[in-house]
Amino acid sequence: MAQKKKPYLQAVVFGIISVLSYVFLFSRQELVTDYYSRGGAYTVLPVATALYFSFIHGAFASSVLAVLGLEAKK
Amino acid sequence: MFRRTISLLTALMIVLWAVCPALAGGGAGPPKNFRKGEFLSVDEASGTAVFRPSGSEETITVYLGKLKPEEVELKRKVMVTFQRQHGRQVIKSISVMFMDMTLKKILALVIIGLVGGMLSGFIGSGGAFVLTPSMMSLGAPGAVAVASNMCHKFPKAMVGAYKRYKYGQADVKLGLVMATSAIVGVQIGIKVQKFILQKWGNAGSNLYVSLAFVVILVIVGGYVFWDAWRLAKGGAEVKTTKLALALQRIKIPPMMEFKRAGVRLSAWVTIPVGLATGMLAATIAVGGFIGGPGMIYVLGASALVASATELVIAFVMGLWGSIQWGLSGLIDIRLTLLILAGSLFGVQLGALGTTYVKDYMIKVVMGAVMLIVAVSRGAKVPIYLEDLGAISPLAASTKALLNQVSFWALVTALGTAGVIITAAMVKGMLKARAERKEMLRKGAVSHG
Repeated sequence: MAQKKKPYLQAVVFGIISVLSYVFLFSRQELVTDYYSRGGAYTVLPVATALYFSFIHGAFASSVLAVLGLEAKK
Repeated sequence: MFRRTISLLTALMIVLWAVCPALAGGGAGPPKNFRKGEFLSVDEASGTAVFRPSGSEETITVYLGKLKPEEVELKRKVMVTFQRQHGRQVIKSISVMFMDMTLKKILALVIIGLVGGMLSGFIGSGGAFVLTPSMMSLGAPGAVAVASNMCHKFPKAMVGAYKRYKYGQADVKLGLVMATSAIVGVQIGIKVQKFILQKWGNAGSNLYVSLAFVVILVIVGGYVFWDAWRLAKGGAEVKTTKLALALQRIKIPPMMEFKRAGVRLSAWVTIPVGLATGMLAATIAVGGFIGGPGMIYVLGASALVASATELVIAFVMGLWGSIQWGLSGLIDIRLTLLILAGSLFGVQLGALGTTYVKDYMIKVVMGAVMLIVAVSRGAKVPIYLEDLGAISPLAASTKALLNQVSFWALVTALGTAGVIITAAMVKGMLKARAERKEMLRKGAVSHG
């Protein structure tokens, strides 16, 4: 039985994008919290950001778990 | 048939959206009795402060009332509630909207997010019950904590639902039907809640909500736990309840086929279960806990399918709620993202964990969490009884102790769930590995 290749590259790439995204937003905390809590049409900002992180950070988490050998039972 | 159902559901969502935009989300929706803005100056001599509401260049002069001048933080975004006294605008309360972040708070949010996510990935719900009070204890105002949690719930649930759909567990159609009817249920629930508030006031409403919460959680959680216990002992097999079998015999059209759940039900059965979930979510905030057992014992789905489908419901309800809370401008995206940092790991870990355990393990965790959370809310009942004047005043130390018991019971619930899930998962993985090795060994012998 061939061992499935572990997604090291995916983990590193998504990890870097995720960390950079966190640093980008948290280094501008005041500006970000101000715009994101203006209500009305600005609602799109928190909702879209949460979705963006679910893809990027979610993909990072998924590949880290796979690298660690934590995968669903076949 | 599937397409027709989806179009019907979409149309219903659009109508609801147009008619009642403010009524949705967990609990009774965003509060409206506050103003956001910042204080520019305080005049101690006249007991007034100059306040500039957000999005406006004009300022208003307000009275401090019982507040001390040093309690008014200048040049920070705050949420303020006012009351009118003798025609004057008097400050009732001030909360700083965005707390200062420290390393300790960041770590706490990531860790709670991780375990909370694991719980939702495993049983389909949970996490919110401990995340919201935790954020409040770290310094976030209640409304901001609820909003930020809501905004973290839908992306987490989306990732969890996707994973469990891939494992063949989530019934998307059942989830969408349940979620849409739950959103309608939320609106009925808000009306009930308002009626209770008018009739018995704030203290009476708190008492009613807590008692209903404790009673429902003890009954449902106790039943789930008893069922799990019976199955865990090995003396019983997983059976569809008599209630679910009887309901499946009702053939009043329109009938709905739920392939993953393996049930065919009348819409007259499915929709009321969703409505009840929504109503309970709005009145006593136990929606997620009721949806799972509802699908298992009333509709006849397996615990595996019900907990996976609950994630689909959480996604729809969470997205809907986030938009409502976002429109009020109450989401602190930093809190949302820090919880997500942990919960996106947790939810996938919990989801893959379900593939290694027997169906009853989901019920064990579901039941145990519900019972411990009931203890947490039960501890607050004496405080509400005191507010109503039904019992003699409690000592300040007793009140502090009851609040501590309540908070730590929540942490215990989360910790217990984390330990049970991890242990069950590790055991399942070791067993699977041993079985794989055994198969390889047998394969080698037969070929050799």
